[in-house]
Amino acid sequence: MATDDRNLSAATGWAEQDDVPEMPSELLEINMGPQHPATHGVLRLLIETDGEIVAKVTPHIGYLHRCAEKIAEGLNYKQWVVYTDRFDYLAPMCCNHAYVTAVERLLGVEMPDRVEYLRVIAAELSRIASHLIAIATFGLDMGAWTPLLYCFREREEILNLLERLSGGRMLYNYMIPGGVRFDVPEDGWCEDTRTFIDMLENKKIGDYNTLLSYNKIFIERTADIGVISREDAFAYGCTGPVLRGSGVQFDCRKDDPYSVYDQFEFEIPYGTGEQGTVGDCWDRYMVRVREVIQSCRIVRQALEKLPPGPIMSDQVKKVMRVGPGAAYTRVESAKGEMGHYLIADGGQKPFRNKVRSPSFCNLQILEKIGPGMMVSDLVATVGSLDIVLGEIDR
Amino acid sequence: MSTESTTPPAGYDPQREHMLDFDVDQQLQKVIDTEDKNFILTSLDEVFNWARLSSLWPVTFGLACCAIEMMACSATRYDIDRFGAGAFRASPRQADLMIVSGTVTAKMARRLKLIYDQMPEPKWVVAMGSCAIGGGPYFKYGYHVVKGVDLLVPVDVYIPGCPPRPEVLLDGLMRLQDKIRGRKGKFRPPKWVANYAKKIPYRK
Amino acid sequence: MEFAAICTLLSTKLGDGVLELHEEGVEPWVDMKPDQIAAAAHLLRELPELDFNQLMCLSGIDWDGLDEKGKGKSVAILGYSADGKPETSDRVGEGDLGVAYHLYSHQHGHKFTLRVRVPRGAATLPSVAEIWPTGAWHEREAWDLVGIRFTGHPDLRRILLDDSWVGHPLRKDYQMPGRWDLAPLEGKPYSVNPHQKPMEPPPAGDADGSGGEG
Repeated sequence: MATDDRNLSAATGWAEQDDVPEMPSELLEINMGPQHPATHGVLRLLIETDGEIVAKVTPHIGYLHRCAEKIAEGLNYKQWVVYTDRFDYLAPMCCNHAYVTAVERLLGVEMPDRVEYLRVIAAELSRIASHLIAIATFGLDMGAWTPLLYCFREREEILNLLERLSGGRMLYNYMIPGGVRFDVPEDGWCEDTRTFIDMLENKKIGDYNTLLSYNKIFIERTADIGVISREDAFAYGCTGPVLRGSGVQFDCRKDDPYSVYDQFEFEIPYGTGEQGTVGDCWDRYMVRVREVIQSCRIVRQALEKLPPGPIMSDQVKKVMRVGPGAAYTRVESAKGEMGHYLIADGGQKPFRNKVRSPSFCNLQILEKIGPGMMVSDLVATVGSLDIVLGEIDR
Repeated sequence: MSTESTTPPAGYDPQREHMLDFDVDQQLQKVIDTEDKNFILTSLDEVFNWARLSSLWPVTFGLACCAIEMMACSATRYDIDRFGAGAFRASPRQADLMIVSGTVTAKMARRLKLIYDQMPEPKWVVAMGSCAIGGGPYFKYGYHVVKGVDLLVPVDVYIPGCPPRPEVLLDGLMRLQDKIRGRKGKFRPPKWVANYAKKIPYRK
Repeated sequence: MEFAAICTLLSTKLGDGVLELHEEGVEPWVDMKPDQIAAAAHLLRELPELDFNQLMCLSGIDWDGLDEKGKGKSVAILGYSADGKPETSDRVGEGDLGVAYHLYSHQHGHKFTLRVRVPRGAATLPSVAEIWPTGAWHEREAWDLVGIRFTGHPDLRRILLDDSWVGHPLRKDYQMPGRWDLAPLEGKPYSVNPHQKPMEPPPAGDADGSGGEG
């Protein structure tokens, strides 16, 4: 038995009960993934364990590397919107929004108000859908099957609404540089959306809280687990609910406003350590639940204020030439800060498009906080980070 | 037919005589009397296949966007359990259906083959979505994308779409069930099933 | 702080002539020599007036094929001809490689963009993974896809592609594989590229060598 291994389990307080003197032991390597129900996709975690304690975690990614950045250099600006959908396929509208914001910033054009409002409505609905999946799969990781059925029920409603708006069920290709593809349908879409938002905010969120959030077993599994400190969150580039769960009140929609987000009233929920330590899994989870309410508020305000006007800007030409120039533009996606570093050379195709995806940075912190926790807590931590492999590997 | 036999064959139950009152079983009865037992084998196959197609257990193998639609398919509105295919198994050793839901990359190819090899026979593969069929939107410039999962494993049913709607996945599942049943195209219940259903006493 | 103030502060610490300011365009940035990047990164992180505690993005770039005047020069990446054959060319990249650092300070709420260019033949940069731990994976990605080495990196391996992969796909002269009908079960056939030699490790310490290898 190597002494430093024993120190590890002694530090975590699990050493005394199974410490057998003179018993040789060694670290066990476990390969978790790429096909594993708790890794949220094709993530592979190489875990070294000392009994039940994790000694080292090494995430291996790239099993879904789909060459989107190379493809960006071969297609023109409007064609590539399709691929942004497939980054974060749980919140495709947010990814669309990130890309079109980047292109329009380089173009230097202002969008008509109606376009921006429609984009905000679509992005926020998409964010709600993504958070519902996050709640559902996190519950599933913790052994609760029922919330999945509830959350998917509400998600189907959102998909219906977005399908009526854009024509696609899951991946929309709705926003393009220069506007949005379709106007609001005439068949009472706004009223239906408002009804759904009211229903979600007033009734369903309470259901989730009763069912999962304040469930004793759930709190036992998630509180004080996987604590990410404020400094670690900054250093490892965590953004989105992961950063806010650590008690940092930062949101690109407020602190670095884009689109028309400065015209809405909403709050930024953040972790307070209500059930344990600030920055534990429960805080990150609860930030998402509370963000759903804030997104509902934004959608309701946007529907009220929705101005008339065109849905395409007349400043953007059909054959679009951008630049020359380079800019890093970031928006708040459902998972965190989604940025595009877009280098344009004045042609129809981008010269280089580097995508900074939030899950890529959020996952990285697993190497830091993983050692010392139990394997089942590692599952909880991965679930609470809410990663999407489509945007990690791109 | 050979000679007429006066003693009933082994296993003959006079109580069940009314249940043998249709074509297939009469033919079966005739064949039982002969030496040639091959027909029984195929009939057993039909029973086995019926059991297999009614309880397809997919392996939990989500690759990309299509995996979310696969989850939606197993969740509230679409409920894949209606077709007996809702028991997603975490281990390939317990599964007999692999739904390749998403883009297969060069790095994943070996693992996918490994998972397929671990599944016990008989096994079926469904290629879900255009990426799994042939690279999809990642065909051009996609240096890391396998251009179709059929380069790796034999595929039974292709489901187009990017991603396919859950209804289409359910339809693909039914086509796979048809294939397992041994019938191409649209499913029609065999005649003896219809006859048998008519003769069940409590349905009168 | 504004961009100009940050540059002034950096210049006083690092000495004159180190920074090359570009204030035109949508996003102003600073060009810097590769041997100064470590010192600059330390200053940007440590100085209390700057306090850039988040590395938003680190992008590896192949500058080959960019027309500086920026008029309609298309990028030479290989595609397919009209009859479905993959296009091959033996063009060799000439331009520099580069890295762009995008920084943000949660304390002060200001941003800063730093760019550095390295010659294609000796693409080596000091790592910033010690200063911003999130840079570790971004640098691994830059090594994987563009082929820039980072000295002092804790674990510089390929991150997205297989370890046996040959070539760096986001370089502009990357040759697409000739045939797609093979499945890369051994991790090889897609990655083996008959036109491209594996990259030689650069000579140590030769950070600003003389131009590209042509």
